[in-house]
Amino acid sequence: MRHTLATCLTLLLLWALVAEANHALSNLRVYLFVGGLFVTYAALMLPWRAGLAASLLGGLLCDANAPVAFGTHLVLFAAAFAVLSHLRDRLPREDTIARVIVALLANLGLFLLFSFTQISGSPAPAAIWPRLIADLVCSQVCLALIAPWFFALQHRTLLLARAERESID
Amino acid sequence: MPFRRFATAKPFVTLGFVVVAWLIVPVVVKTFVRASFFELTAPITVAASYARDLQQYWSLRLHSNGELIEAGRDLARLNASYEFAVQQTTEMQAEITRLEGLLRLPAFANYRLEHARVARRDFSGWWQRIVIRKGKDFGLTVGAPVIFTGGVVGRVTEVHAYTAVVEMISSQNVRLAGVVEGDTRPISFQGGLNPTFGPPKGVVEFVPLDIFATAAAPKRLVTSGLGGVFPPGLTLGEITRVDLSSDGLFKTGEVKLDERLGALTEVTVLVPLNPE
Repeated sequence: MRHTLATCLTLLLLWALVAEANHALSNLRVYLFVGGLFVTYAALMLPWRAGLAASLLGGLLCDANAPVAFGTHLVLFAAAFAVLSHLRDRLPREDTIARVIVALLANLGLFLLFSFTQISGSPAPAAIWPRLIADLVCSQVCLALIAPWFFALQHRTLLLARAERESID
Repeated sequence: MPFRRFATAKPFVTLGFVVVAWLIVPVVVKTFVRASFFELTAPITVAASYARDLQQYWSLRLHSNGELIEAGRDLARLNASYEFAVQQTTEMQAEITRLEGLLRLPAFANYRLEHARVARRDFSGWWQRIVIRKGKDFGLTVGAPVIFTGGVVGRVTEVHAYTAVVEMISSQNVRLAGVVEGDTRPISFQGGLNPTFGPPKGVVEFVPLDIFATAAAPKRLVTSGLGGVFPPGLTLGEITRVDLSSDGLFKTGEVKLDERLGALTEVTVLVPLNPE
């Protein structure tokens, strides 16, 4: 429970910061998507149930603030969590660089899947891809820059909540 | 051995379980969860918005008295011209009411103007929307038109306790009827083209064949008043290009929307006085 709550608090902070960044970038028509960060630490470092719960709550948080079918982020984050937790024993998950690379790949997959679910309503779906690719590039750069800080924040929050000693394997 | 196989497949079995569980959850529960999560994050959005306002206030305090006096003088001139326009509008309104009475025409929809600060702009390639700092507490209603000095902003799609979500006309989900200024034939407008670093754009369909527009000689697109949501005559954008459609019966084209849509800080919601 502590793992889930502590991780959710960090996800809420991440959501708020990214929302502010998107607000500031709106005049340039650039949008940052960091869905990969919502699942990576939870899937690689947390106990299985706590990680899944945190990812699902992160998905609900994103769903509530987006005009999409409620549950879109939830299902995508759950899928990303399933893939990452399936691979977690084969990855050097204690290494920050490895975690960042995993987050980048997860973000890429989530962004593309999410785009395919959303562009069907566009008046010109082909014309929308240059914008989406530009957003993806900016998002990946932003994610690579903030991921080490965010993983450290999540780790520190778990320590402060005294959740790390309990059952992080 | 079977246990080991299950352990390997456990994440995917759980994923299947989550998907099935989500599909069978009643809509009422989903709606409640969505509203709860939105209200949970609303204080963060609003607090950040107030912090930005405070920041702007302190930066404005740095202006010299000379600059403030100049700004006050400019505002006084603007106020004088607006007061004249208000007098003219009042006279015209009275004339319209008199003619409606004489001809027994149905009255135009009346609106109450509700000004609201923009708390958050959320402009992605998938959607374009803003969150404003007024909601049920100010009687906003879903579907109410939202405007700014440059014309139409969009319409209210969600109303929460003290915030509301406005879907912008640059969003691909917004489709409405417009007319070329000075013409009466309706044209279908849809937003959705928002290139990086460029102005937002939309598309028009069912443009009559005798309408021509280029980037050098654009045509102003305004709301038609059809459908009853937006009052007629509000600016949507400028048609900068029209091409013959594939069926040859109409034209399709591109609409350049106001660049200021990307930097909105204050909007006006037209709240219908008789929502029915």
